[in-house]
Amino acid sequence: MTIIAPILIGFLFGFLLHKGGMTRYHKIVNVFRFTDMAVLKFMMSSLVVGMIGIYLLTDLGVVASMPITPTFVVGNLVGGLLFGVGMAAAGVCAAPIAAGSGEGRLDYIFPGIFGMLVGAMLFGLTYNQVYPAISKIANEGPIVLPEVIDANHWLVIGLFAAITIVLFYALERAIRLRRNRVASE
Amino acid sequence: MNWLITQLRKPEWSPYVAGAGLGLVTILALVLSSAHLPAPSLIGASGAYENLVAPAGLAVDPKNTYFNYIMPPGLTWSVWILAGVFLGGLASALLSRTFKWRALPDRQWTEVFGKSVARRWVIVFLAAVLLEYAAGIAGGCTSGLAISGGVVLAPASFIFIAGMFASGIVTAMLLYRKRY
Repeated sequence: MTIIAPILIGFLFGFLLHKGGMTRYHKIVNVFRFTDMAVLKFMMSSLVVGMIGIYLLTDLGVVASMPITPTFVVGNLVGGLLFGVGMAAAGVCAAPIAAGSGEGRLDYIFPGIFGMLVGAMLFGLTYNQVYPAISKIANEGPIVLPEVIDANHWLVIGLFAAITIVLFYALERAIRLRRNRVASE
Repeated sequence: MNWLITQLRKPEWSPYVAGAGLGLVTILALVLSSAHLPAPSLIGASGAYENLVAPAGLAVDPKNTYFNYIMPPGLTWSVWILAGVFLGGLASALLSRTFKWRALPDRQWTEVFGKSVARRWVIVFLAAVLLEYAAGIAGGCTSGLAISGGVVLAPASFIFIAGMFASGIVTAMLLYRKRY
């Protein structure tokens, strides 16, 4: 295993997290207050670009396969619900803690990284009691949306891209309207 | 070239541009991981903390299933990605001259929660414990599940994102009350 390749991937990832503003408390919490939608814009843009490239490379046979994250409805949902609480309370996230540490944030370097390690420790120590039970419920395995709705993957990607563009357009319009209203008051 | 240097020195990019860049990184990760690993993987962060804490986990419980078989100790691919994330944040902050040692976040935090460093650090610690535990249950974090699962169109990703936004909105409402 080379170490250059994963460091390069991580480097670009951390660089873009910082440039996208994802290492800052207010950027992350404000997406949940609908006052700054940068997190959503960042995530949706990466999904659209990523899905086009990944399905294209797989269709063309450049890579043998893509890694499919398994779906186990209850675990994915409960995990997401708990995750959102932590994200909104502290304005942090797993990768931004590392990228923000590189920006000199002592609250990320000390309690942030230490907390992640403690969380990982607790998860590992309670794994047998928690994970098999929760991941067993509605476990669909490695499925993808095109299979679920029995449609061609390019149709799903096209639809996702279209929804994203409409959403972005509506978001920018709403922000402009609010700015004009604030300015005229 | 001058244009590129100007861009790299900017403290902030449009989130659309930075996000599209991250999409390209997932494509690069697919190509590189397919070439170097037995099975491809995209991006992630939460798994690395598990590999890093595994030696301590095994010291507490030597027969632990998780730290022996699922996330064993070692400088894995994910650990190097996490190291890269730190270096990437550092490089971007240095280039844009925004690197600064600081114990508290921006003004919005201090306006709402005050200037107590202890309060901020306790909240970050508790949130980080919760985030990492939650990522374990969900099967990944924002990068390892929401992004990496989303780009392959896995329903897991969209279920996770829905849960994350639902509880995030409620949490922000409870913490901000009238300021929400």
